[in-house]
Order: sequence, then C-alpha cells, then structure tokens
Amino acid sequence: MASLKRSVGSDPLAANISSKVYVRSTKSGKVQKIVREVYLRQDIPCSSKLCQSCLKVTPRDAAGRQIPFVLSEAPAGTSVFPQGHYLVPDTNAFLSAMDLFEQSSAFYDVIVLQIVLEELRNRSLPLYNRLVGLTKSEDKRFYVFFNEFRLETHVAREEGESVNDRNDRAVRRAVAWYGEHLARTKAKKGPAVVMLTNDRDNLRKAKLEGIHACSLAEYVKQLKDGDRLLDMIPDTEDRDAIKEKRPNELLYPEYLTMSKMMTGVKSGLLHQGTFNVSPYNYLEGSIRVPAFPKSLIILGRENINRAVDGDLVVVEVLPRDQWKEPSTKVIEEQAITRNENPDAEGDDAVSERERKALQEEAKRTQSKTTEGHAQPTAKVVGVIKRNWRQYVGHIDQSSVIQSAQQGQKQDTVFIIPMDKKIPKIRLRTRQVAELLGKRILVTIDAWDRGSRHPVGHFIRSLGELETKAAETEALLLEYDVQYRPFPKTVLDCLPKEGHDWKVPESIDDPGWRGREDLRGLLICSIDPIGCQDIDDALHCRPLPNGNIEVGVHIADVSHFVKPNNAMDTEASVRGTTVYLVDKRIDMLPMLLGTDLCSLKPYVERYAFSVLWELTPDADIASMRFTKSVIKSREAFSYEQAQLRVDDISQQDELTSSIRALMALSKKLRQKRMDAGALSLSSPEVKIQMESETSDPIDVKTKEHLDTMSLVEEFMLLANISVARKIYEAFPQTAILRRHGAPPKTNFDELANQLRVKRGFELSIESSRALADSLDTCVDPNEPFFNTLIRVMATRCMMAAEYFCSGTQAYPEFRHYGLACEIYTHFTSPIRRYADLVAHRQLAAAIEYEAVGPGVRSRGRLEAVCKNINIRHRNAQMAGRASIAYYVGQALRGKTTEEDGFIMKIFSNGFVVLVPSFGIESLIRLRDLAEPEPEATFDAENYVLAMSGSKDLKVELFQKVRVKVMDRKDVTTGKRGVKMEFVKAY
Amino acid sequence: MAPNQHVLLSPAELAYLHEALSLTPPIRPDGRAPTQFRPLVAETEILPGTNGSARICFADGTEAIVGVKAEVERTRGYHGDDEEEGGEEKREQEREGQDEWVELTVEIPGYREDDASTAFLAAMLSEALLADGGFAKKLWINRRFHWKLFLDIILISPPLSYPLPLLSLTTHLALLSTRLPRLKSEGDEDPFFDDDWAAAPYLYPQGTATTRPPITLLVMAVGRNIIFDPTKEELAVADVVLAVSVGEAATDASSTKGKGKAPGRSLRLLSVRTVDPPSRVTPPGVPNATNSAYGIAASAQKQPEARTVEAQAVEGVWRAPRGGAKPAVMAALVQKVLERGGVADEVLDALDAVELG
Repeated sequence: MASLKRSVGSDPLAANISSKVYVRSTKSGKVQKIVREVYLRQDIPCSSKLCQSCLKVTPRDAAGRQIPFVLSEAPAGTSVFPQGHYLVPDTNAFLSAMDLFEQSSAFYDVIVLQIVLEELRNRSLPLYNRLVGLTKSEDKRFYVFFNEFRLETHVAREEGESVNDRNDRAVRRAVAWYGEHLARTKAKKGPAVVMLTNDRDNLRKAKLEGIHACSLAEYVKQLKDGDRLLDMIPDTEDRDAIKEKRPNELLYPEYLTMSKMMTGVKSGLLHQGTFNVSPYNYLEGSIRVPAFPKSLIILGRENINRAVDGDLVVVEVLPRDQWKEPSTKVIEEQAITRNENPDAEGDDAVSERERKALQEEAKRTQSKTTEGHAQPTAKVVGVIKRNWRQYVGHIDQSSVIQSAQQGQKQDTVFIIPMDKKIPKIRLRTRQVAELLGKRILVTIDAWDRGSRHPVGHFIRSLGELETKAAETEALLLEYDVQYRPFPKTVLDCLPKEGHDWKVPESIDDPGWRGREDLRGLLICSIDPIGCQDIDDALHCRPLPNGNIEVGVHIADVSHFVKPNNAMDTEASVRGTTVYLVDKRIDMLPMLLGTDLCSLKPYVERYAFSVLWELTPDADIASMRFTKSVIKSREAFSYEQAQLRVDDISQQDELTSSIRALMALSKKLRQKRMDAGALSLSSPEVKIQMESETSDPIDVKTKEHLDTMSLVEEFMLLANISVARKIYEAFPQTAILRRHGAPPKTNFDELANQLRVKRGFELSIESSRALADSLDTCVDPNEPFFNTLIRVMATRCMMAAEYFCSGTQAYPEFRHYGLACEIYTHFTSPIRRYADLVAHRQLAAAIEYEAVGPGVRSRGRLEAVCKNINIRHRNAQMAGRASIAYYVGQALRGKTTEEDGFIMKIFSNGFVVLVPSFGIESLIRLRDLAEPEPEATFDAENYVLAMSGSKDLKVELFQKVRVKVMDRKDVTTGKRGVKMEFVKAY
Repeated sequence: MAPNQHVLLSPAELAYLHEALSLTPPIRPDGRAPTQFRPLVAETEILPGTNGSARICFADGTEAIVGVKAEVERTRGYHGDDEEEGGEEKREQEREGQDEWVELTVEIPGYREDDASTAFLAAMLSEALLADGGFAKKLWINRRFHWKLFLDIILISPPLSYPLPLLSLTTHLALLSTRLPRLKSEGDEDPFFDDDWAAAPYLYPQGTATTRPPITLLVMAVGRNIIFDPTKEELAVADVVLAVSVGEAATDASSTKGKGKAPGRSLRLLSVRTVDPPSRVTPPGVPNATNSAYGIAASAQKQPEARTVEAQAVEGVWRAPRGGAKPAVMAALVQKVLERGGVADEVLDALDAVELG
C-alpha cells in the first residue's frame, strides 16, 4: 500500500494567510483549541512622517480621510544616536518601567508593536490601560504598529521554539524591517530604530543580526537627565541575585499554584478574600470569608506571607490550638523596625523585636482560660491578584547612611508609605539627598521570598513635605482621585455658547420639548455657604383643597451630558466630585457644574422636577415627575434661611413657604424616626480659612440647623419616590442604593463594652431596636456620651452601596440607616454620577426620552455601580484626610487643652477622641512617663491600670483632659496631631 | 451503504468473476495480488479547529474525513476526596477509562443517522477502539476529570463501496494526529492547561513503540483464497466477508529480547465481525439445461427445474453463496492478518508514512 502526499506549495495565496493557534480555558472549565486566521497585508503604514511610500498605500476611511501619521520626521536624538531615533520597546520594558514612558522629558516617538501590546494586556491590565492612554495622547507620539498583520514583519513560530522566543524574534524582525524601510524612504540619514529590552539573550541576538538595541539602563544613561530617570528602572540584577539564593535563606513560604488554590477554594479547604491590615498593628491582618461569621485573623509576618493590604489572597485556616484573640496591643512598624539596615538582607523574616512583640501576645492568650474569645487564625498560602498601586511616602531618614547623602551612587533606602497599612518599601535611588524630606510617589515591583520588604522604584517627587501642593496631591493620589484637568475631547462636548447659554426664549425650541413651564413658581435653593454647584431647589404652595403642593427641582444635568460621549465617560470614571478643605475636584467641567446646570437664582434653568401633593400630615396624595424650566427666586445659605424663618417680621410669600416646608419636613422626619431610621453620627468639623491666603486658622465643629434637615427630608422623599418609579419601570436595571443590615457580630464588641462599662443593653434585631437602644445610652452628666456611642456604632455599620436592581432580591434593597424599603440617589447629579444615571432612567420611565443602552444593559450598570462605589468611598476618605491634615495645620505651633473620650483601649496605650477637633489619636504608655510604666490590662473590663513610674487607671468611655498640639515626628518627618495626657476626670 | 448494495453485474459476469477469484493464485479484475492494497491519498490536520483530523481518498473515488474534538468533563461517581494521597504507582493504577468517554458518529451521505447499516458501522468502529480498554485510559485526567472525545466520521463521497476500511483508516490517522492540551495542574485539582498549542502532547505519543489506534480491515474469502481490500465487484462474489480489527500489542520488552523475532509489529486481534456479503442477494444464473426461454424445454416442468437449480451447482452458472465461513478459512484469514510483516503490518507502515501536521 502506498500513500500519496499533497504538495504544500500548491496554494498560491499561502503566503498571505497564516494562522495562530492557542488553547483557551473558559471560566466554566471548558478547554478549547482556538484557531485565528491571520491575513497578511502590505498596506499597514509605518506611520513615520518621513515616509512617502506608506502615505500612498495607507487605506482611507469611508470619507476618504487618512489617519494622520504619528512619528515625527525629526525625532529627538541621544548621545549614541545623534541622528534621532524611534524606540521599539519589548513587553518587559513596559512591564517594568511604564513610569519611564510617561515622562515628559523623554520617550517620544515610540513604536508599540501589536504583539507587545497584546502580551502586556495578558500580563497586566492596568499597565495596558496606561499604555493605551499613552498611544492616544497626541504629544507623546506613540504609534501602535500591527506587526502581526504586515506581511514583512509577520513571524511564524518555528518548530520547538518557545512562545517568548518567537515573540522576541517578532520584535527584532519588526525593528529590522523599520530600519530597512526608513533607509529606503530617504537618501539622507534617517532616524535609528532602537529596540529596548532587558533580556540579555535578546540583546545578544539583536547584536548578531545587526540591529540597534539597548537595555533600559543603557538607554536612559544616554539621556540628559539620565540619573533621575535611572531610579525609575527596577533593579533586575538585584532580583536575579536573590533568585540564586539557597532555599534555606528564603524567608517566606512559597505560594501554592493557581490551580491548587482554585481547587482548594472550590472544595472549601481554602478561603479567598481581600486582605486587610489592622490600622493599629501592622503584623495583624484580617480577612472576611463567607464560610466564617467572623473575620479570620492573620498574625505575624510569616503568616501574612508577603500579602499587602488590598490584595486578593487565599488563606488556609490554622489548627484550633493556634487560634487567638485579636491583639490588644499597638504595634507600629516604624517603632519596631526602626534603624534597620536596608542593605542587609536575608536575616530572619521575623526579627527579634517583632518576635518579642508577638510573644507577649501569645503569653497572654495562653494564660487565659476563656477559650470562647479566640478567633480562628489563618495563613496566606497564595495571592490571586495583587492590588498594588502607586504609593505616596517619604524616605525613612534613619535608613539613610550619612556618608551616602552626598555621592551620586545608588543607595538603598526605605520608603515609609503614608498609608500605615502598607509595609515599608525598599528602594534604590541615586538621589537620596534630593529626595529627603519630600513626598514621593513610589510603586512596588516585587516581593520575593528572599526579601523581607517589598522592593519598589521611584516614580516622581510631589514636593516638600507639608507644603500644601504636595500634601493635597499626595491625598488625591492616595485615594485615586482623578485630578487632571479635563481633556479636550471632554470640553468639546460642552455647549458652544459657553457661559452665554440661555434657556431658549421660544417655547417652540426643541429644548422645550416635553418641558413644563414652572417659571412662575416661587422656587428657592438652600445650600451651604459659598456653594456654587446648586443641584436642588424647592418650592411649596397651598392648594385649594387644603393640601400642599411641594416641588423638588433638580438640575437637569442629563440634558447636557448625553450618554456615551467623552464627557459622560469621564464623569462615569470620576464617579463623584471630591470636596477637600480648600479644593474641589469636579466630576463635570466647571461650565456645567457651576453655571449651566447649577440652579442659580434669578436665571432660567432646565430642571427635572418631582412634584407632590401632600396632605397637611405630610402624607403623599399624589406625585408626578416632569422635566421643567424654572427660575429660582433666591439662593439661601442654611444660616440665612434659618434667620429668615426665625425672624417673625418677615412675612413675604417666600419666607412663609419655607416655613410651610419646615413644618412638613418635621412631620416627615418624625415618620422616618418612627419607622426606625437611625440618627448616626461622625465627628464633623469645619475648617475656617483665612480668606486671602487660604491658610487654616480655626477649627469649628459643625452646627446643625433646622434648615439642613428641611432640605435633607425633601431630598430623601424625592430619592425614595424616584427609586420607586424607576424600579417600577425597570425592575431589572434600576440603579438603586442599599444599606445592608450589619451582621450581628459587628456589634458584639460594642454591645459588650456598653454592658460591662455602663450596663446598657444594645439591641440590634432591627434598625428600629438599635435606634431605640441608642437613644437610651445617655449619660446625664455627659451630653457628648451619646454622640460618642453613635460614632462608635456608625463604625460597626456596613457601607451603603449602589447596585443594579436585578442583582438583588427585593428584601435586600432595604436601606438600613434610613429604614426605607427602596432608595436611590437622584438629587445631586452635578456631583454624583449615580444621580445622573437615575435621571436618565427616570426620563425614560416617564417617556421623556428613549430607553438608552446605558439604562437597559445590566452588565454595564453593574460595572458603573462597582466603580462609583469605590470612587464614593475614596472621595469620602480623601475629604476626611484633607480635614485631618488641615486640623493639624490649624494647630501648628499652638497648644490647647481639650476634653476627650477614650474610645479604644489597648494593653500598651489608648485612643482618645477629641470632639471639638473631630480627631482621634493614640496615646502610648511609653509617652506617659519615662520609663514606660508597668501596666496591667484587664481586657474583660476594659481597664488599664498603670503602676511604677505613673500611677493611673484609665477605662473605656472615660472622659480625659488632653493637651493637643502638633508635632513633627523626628524619624518620619511627618507632622501630625499629637495628644498628651493631662488628667483623667 | 449496506455491503449488499446493488451491483450491476449479470449472473454470468458474477460467475466469471467468482471463477477467476477462486483460482490459485486468484486473478483479480485489476490485476492486484490477493494481499495488495490500492493506493490511497491521505493527509492529516486538515481541520484546524479540531484536536486532530484526517482525510483519506481511496482509489475508487471514495473519500472520508474525520475530526476529533475533546472536551473536559467531570467524571461522574467520584465523591469527595479520599484521605490518603497515594504514591505515583497507585495513581497509575487508578487511571481507568470508561467507554462513554468516547462518542463516535458516522455520517454517510444519503443515509439516515439511525439507519441500521450506519449504526452497525459506528458500532464496529467504536468496538475496535474500545476493545482493549487502553484507549479510554488515555482520556483520564485525574480522579475527578476526564477528556470526552467526539469523533465525527464523515464520508464525503457517495458510498460507492463498503466504506468500513476507509472510515477505519481515516479514524486511525485522525487519532494519531490528535493532541490534547498539556495539563499543568497536579493531582486531583481542577484541571488547568497550558495555553500553548505547540506544547500539547499527542494522544498517541510519537516515536515511541507504544500502542497505536486500531485498524479495521475488510477481508473476503472466495473458496480458499483470501483477498484483502476487495473492490465493490469483488465483494459481489465473496463467499465470506469479515471485518477484522487489529491493534498493536504493547511490546513486551522481555519477549522481544528473548527471541530474535522477525521484524515487524506484534499485533493482536481485537474483534472479528462477519459482514453479510452482497453476493447473497445476487440473482442466480440459470443453466442452459433448465432455461425455459432457451433450448429444449421451453415451457414444460417449470417448477421441478427451479428446485434442481437450488440443489446443484452447475459449472459456469452463478449461484449465490450459502452458509457461513468454514473454520479453516476463518483461521487462515486471521492468521494472514496477524502475521508479522503481514498485511496489517504493511498497512500500518503505509499509514506511518503519512506525515502528521
């Protein structure tokens, strides 16, 4: 028998067709072989402005336009390539030093190969997004070249060749082709095409093939400010050296393989969750997993095993005899690992000091007979996803070797991140002297098993510590607030008339379609002093039947921000406006936020109105929603409005309508309270600024006015009404806001504290019961005590969140704090994206406009909700951090004595809350007296008794007198509020 | 395409053909030796989306393609994890396959999927594949998961002759070219695979002397002559038709060392099926002596004549074969197939020559 063979070369088109074969594993566990046919073409341009031949063949779009060429005809040169050069980085160059490419001083005219872009996307999505951002920015001149589709640069994988080798070869092929191609286009000497790679083998092969290639470090040295940029390249050699270490020098256990973790998690042997570090003890982390009612505790460096706060990790529960109580001791990394030598590596992971600190813990737990308190402990066995970002920090002064401060040689220093939960980062830099005392931005590159601290690299300096600019930027970076100015594409979406835009006069104008003319109503707005972005205005008027018509008018932002344009996308990314003490980071461009949308007085504005007919008892008789045109009569501040209401001589129509609103709001509030709404509390203060320099001069606690709750009540009513309406119209896709009932265990600690210390019972069966029991927690001698308990109770709550109605069952919609079944945000579309979505949904629900995909698509809404939840939380934290910073600045150089309350107690210190400043601070025993007083901590009764150098007994909830001052920490160079204990009442 | 499809040969032609094939050595219409195969055209990996595929085109114009697809499937009946982690040896023992891990469908143009003859073909092919139990074992991933293999066998030409050997050889080639993604996870974890297709190992590792997929050959006997690779016409006069499935026996290291054996493979018989030969339904010839339309007794004695035709064979007059195969013929037939360096060996050699990929 003979078998015949078909000849391969018979297909004339074979050269133009290639294919790519790979295996894809889907989430559902399917494994598929995927074949992609690749059609090779010759009309993909090189995009160099030097090139004429490509210009002729480049395909045009339907309108006959060509995509303009990107790469400059006269690119910058370096010392080695004076004729100018184009850069072709490989994937690893982007992976390790993306920050370099974002520099404005160098790295222009970069050719991003398609294969590099694709590989980057597989390896790191955030970096990929940053690179895509770069390719879109016009001034950086990054060009994505589709090398895989161009006939000349397509590389077929050879027999036995690894994927990486093949990709490296493809990069070299593309570099070589560019070189040849550019040489052909011009007689004069064109720019060099330089490959950037750190791969030694690749460099060697490039040399053999005669193409230009540099390692990142070599290349950066050719640049003008090379030394500065050099710091931004992670040290690969360093890491190689660590890899060669013997296994017994490795400090941390190895991670499990991904498949082992997944199987373990599925079978319930391992648990997956987000790793959180305790703010008081850097050696203690916790992780909440669905399988356990309480969080699992992770104690000690070895168990934490290189997890960083925020990482998605997999943990294994330790045997029962190793279960512990959460620590009652404050352990701060800076205090314990001070004076550590950053160059020394390979000593034990758990240093003597750390071990000692933990041992005391262990002794305490073992001496205790009450087993019931012990919480399950766990150890990290693997990391699913790192959540590393860029961290703001400063150089640990004590880690700098004195002699090194002058030279330009590379030194290793520690960075202390601003966020206490992040471990110290080891960093190599040549500019120690320059960076000392500055806020700097760094990133973590890696954390190897052999290295005690993570290794990172320097990105940029934000400026001197404690300067307003540096600290504000640090805050914004830390909380991931988008603070860059709006790009041109966004500004292009604004109305062309700019500030001159007016509501069209003619009722026939398309802008008036479907709008009700409410210009005749007596509408006014009440907001904080100096508010520019006025989202809401109110009116009320008596009706002939004895009922009262009340209207809430919200700025019609959705008229100006159309779905899916650049402005909408930008707003959905920003999610919310961020208010700092001296700065506001807008979600929408100024023109809209403070002018066109803002319901300013005396001018006509578009609005979205909710109109109710309320009975005198504040029951809803009927309600309707409409787009409208309004004209606000006056913009009051809370204080002004309050004065007006209180002043009996004022009897004009506007004032009496405010009084009517006030009366209704009190009834509404009572109804809410009866339903079990919680009145929670957080210490809020206000910073008074000097008007010209905007330096903080004083701190005041916020006053509560009746007019505030007036506005609040009607906004709540509007939100609830709108929530019902959009849920009715879109049961699957309505954007709502829920506040989950807190798990009972959250209150265990507080309930126990109240029972032991004051004999109060905290009942938590429902929000109603909680509200009632909170009302009973009163100390007749101490009016603030109730507020203190409310502050502490607030911290036990869950965070409220936006969600898409299809993702939860109706009973889960409940807003625990407000005690209402359904809730959304509708009333602040200028500063919250969720409200804007609610506006669009409501407009669709009343058939004002068509149902858009953004309203209908559940997947998209879920993504939006996820993002705005995070943004919202970040904005809140940024705002609080900003206040804390300014409180510190306001106190600078001053010392005052204030009353405070002990709200948390440890075995070696306690936390004091000072209500007048809204700050809390830790007072350590060692700060009380020298030497540190002996102390016995009675954890059952929350009493800390000291003896020896200081005789004192403090307990939880105790009122104390403290001296508040600012202090600059010598080792950290950080200014903060410091409290000194004066006396106990 | 049952084997007994209509053959357009007259009884006289059938008789002649039968005569020629009964000679020693037999004379075949196309002049082939009794064990000689017709040339065929073969190629593999013609369907890029499959895990393995092949196409074979026989000289008589019949052509088949086979695609093999594999899917990960959870093994039923595995409950929880046993406490002990057995050694490597134990693991190997645990490897066991189940017949339902292979699903084989045959499609013949013009025939329904549930047609008896199609079902019979599919049954014969899968029987051969699963007979030794070794095949399903290859699909074992771990105690919780296995590969499920789908073999789609399609005859793309009209069924000109009995396609069993064609389908079997094509399936053989397709399986030889089949690759499964490389497993990266260990033990009983959820399987996790290498995304590099080039790293995917072959289901039948190449270059090693391990087993290969079985082949099913069609063999017929005329008198005492055994004829391989019969044509449609030859089948029409076969006394016996057998489908013989042969697999390569795992080479026993000790036995090969012991005696200096003849070159070639050690084969083993996996199954034998008799196929109803089409000759049975051919119309019988009528001897001149009894032909009512010809010669003497034109009209008389019709009935008794018919009985005599049944009773005795007349030289040169076609008579459909009756009865089963004689044991001696069967034995010789199997012997012939299994011979070292014999027919099956030759076929496998030829298939070896087909380049994979």
